[in-house]
Amino acid sequence: MEIAYFLGCIMPNRYPGIEKATRILFDALDIELKDMEGASCCPAPGVFGSFDEETWATIAARNLTLAEDMGADIMTECNGCFGSLFEANHMLKDNEEKRAKINANLAEIGKEFKGTTNVKHLAQILRDDVGYEKLASLIEKPLDLNVAVHYGCHFLKPTDEIGIEDQAENPAILDDLVEITGAKSIDYKDKMMCCGAGGGVRSRDLDVTASYTKEKLDHMSEAGVDAIVNVCPFCHMQFDQGQLEVNERYGTDFAIPVFHLAQLYGLAMGLSAEELTLTAQKIDAAPALAKALGENAK
Amino acid sequence: MKIRGVFSMSIINRLKSLFKEEKDIIEKGTEEKISKSVDDTSSDFNDPIVSGTKITVSREASFSRDSESGTIELKFKKDVHTIEEESVEDNLPAIEEDKSSNDEEIPEVEEAPAEESLDVEENTSSEEEDIDTDDEVESAEKADDEEKDQKDKKRDNMTLLTDKELLTDANRDPEFTAEFIDAGIETVKHCFQCGTCGGGCPSGRRTPYKVRQIVRKCLLGLKEEVITDDALWMCTTCYTCQERCPRSVKIVEIIKKARNVAAHAGYMAKPHKMTGVFVMNTGHGVPINDAAKALRTQIGLSEVPATTHAFPEALEEVQKLCKITAFDELIGYDEATGGLKE
Repeated sequence: MEIAYFLGCIMPNRYPGIEKATRILFDALDIELKDMEGASCCPAPGVFGSFDEETWATIAARNLTLAEDMGADIMTECNGCFGSLFEANHMLKDNEEKRAKINANLAEIGKEFKGTTNVKHLAQILRDDVGYEKLASLIEKPLDLNVAVHYGCHFLKPTDEIGIEDQAENPAILDDLVEITGAKSIDYKDKMMCCGAGGGVRSRDLDVTASYTKEKLDHMSEAGVDAIVNVCPFCHMQFDQGQLEVNERYGTDFAIPVFHLAQLYGLAMGLSAEELTLTAQKIDAAPALAKALGENAK
Repeated sequence: MKIRGVFSMSIINRLKSLFKEEKDIIEKGTEEKISKSVDDTSSDFNDPIVSGTKITVSREASFSRDSESGTIELKFKKDVHTIEEESVEDNLPAIEEDKSSNDEEIPEVEEAPAEESLDVEENTSSEEEDIDTDDEVESAEKADDEEKDQKDKKRDNMTLLTDKELLTDANRDPEFTAEFIDAGIETVKHCFQCGTCGGGCPSGRRTPYKVRQIVRKCLLGLKEEVITDDALWMCTTCYTCQERCPRSVKIVEIIKKARNVAAHAGYMAKPHKMTGVFVMNTGHGVPINDAAKALRTQIGLSEVPATTHAFPEALEEVQKLCKITAFDELIGYDEATGGLKE
């Protein structure tokens, strides 16, 4: 099996440990991740999507054509990239008028959107193409960890377009994937709430975004979790970097380490905190790691 | 559905008994009866099954107003919703039955569902007034009335429109509404202003962002109202509203379209323009930096990812496309400096 691996921006350019973990995981799964050479920003739905739909769809379509030329489906492990690429692919496959307009733009760089690729999310591939049993066989160090799962918004929603089978307001896919690693998914208040970073709000009004994040952190803390697990580098950054911004604004002392799902699997497969670039993250993961791997370290 | 059936049966029985009681009160008009009735409903207040009748609501309204407890008032509001959601439909057929069995009750009974189906909130407020006149006999309540008068004055001052705030047809731009329809968001017309969107909106509970109001304004063509409002940019596009909308209105699409119109009219925040600048300069909204390069090398990844960062000709394609769609002009990109103009 071959997959066109869409990196996006924040993962390769801020949290490369997520990329590393993903490459090792897919090696073990015997799935080839092929680089989409020359891919760009998805582009960011909050800015491009909110400013000019045509530009947003044109840049997204260019990325889609790279995978079409490779004859492969796309995998992304960022909800923002997934939202943008899936939505653009869906729109251009569906709407001939818009496709003609976008293809006229792409013709200027010698490309054409044909509608021959599908956009998939990492978690979707792990559940639907790989399967839980195979994933479980890769776990070398079961993690003793209580985890707050954060789904993020552009993963299962809008449900009438996104075809991932689950219930957007009461989902199970990420909790299941987390628990395969031995970690326990702890329920917490308003679990499906947004991290606050999306839609261009983080760059425009950090106070509003921090207010969202504080509410989430309050609820996660009340539930007594050791770590936050997400499937979106933007949410990841918001909980990591944003946690400091919350502490600064509200005088709180939140210190909940943040793992992308790929990093969680990396840990359970025995990768080090350095390889996963957890040691470079803002929130110290050491206490959670000591607990998670405690029994195995003995 | 079974549970709902049980509820509705109890509600029907309750309705019947309460209508009779109400009738008695009106006929006899004694203080004793009124206070008894109030006591009854006061205890009903704690009974979850009884919350679904018009009369109970009105009594609760007066009860909660007398009370100083904010939590009780909250419960009252919740109960009103319960009526709307659970009992209105189920009650209608039962009331029809009632009609045939007791002619005398027809006028009252007919009145009830008609009002309820119109607007529950309005209904309860008018009920409050009814109660006030009914209860005038109670001298003890005079103090409360005075207090209420003051509250009313305060409230009126808060809600009365002044000429300055009035919106007329002159404020409407039909072309603005047409933009949504032309973009394929016909569902903007389906909104019946129920407020489910705002009820679940995480931004609405911390910012002046009122999603229901924006949707309405887009439909009415109140272009300036929409595009000049900073709150338009407080949506994180989390889709909670759209998922819950009972009319399947593409709310997030409406917000994004309204933002497109705002952006083209020049309402763009500098940080947003800067993200656009980053993409035009590097192909990435969040470009690589030295720290990330070092990290990538340390863990055995290529120093830069195989994206536009590693392929200059790919970056040129992205830049060319941004010029074709005039995105560079839209954000005020200055090619000479690689920054913003001005």
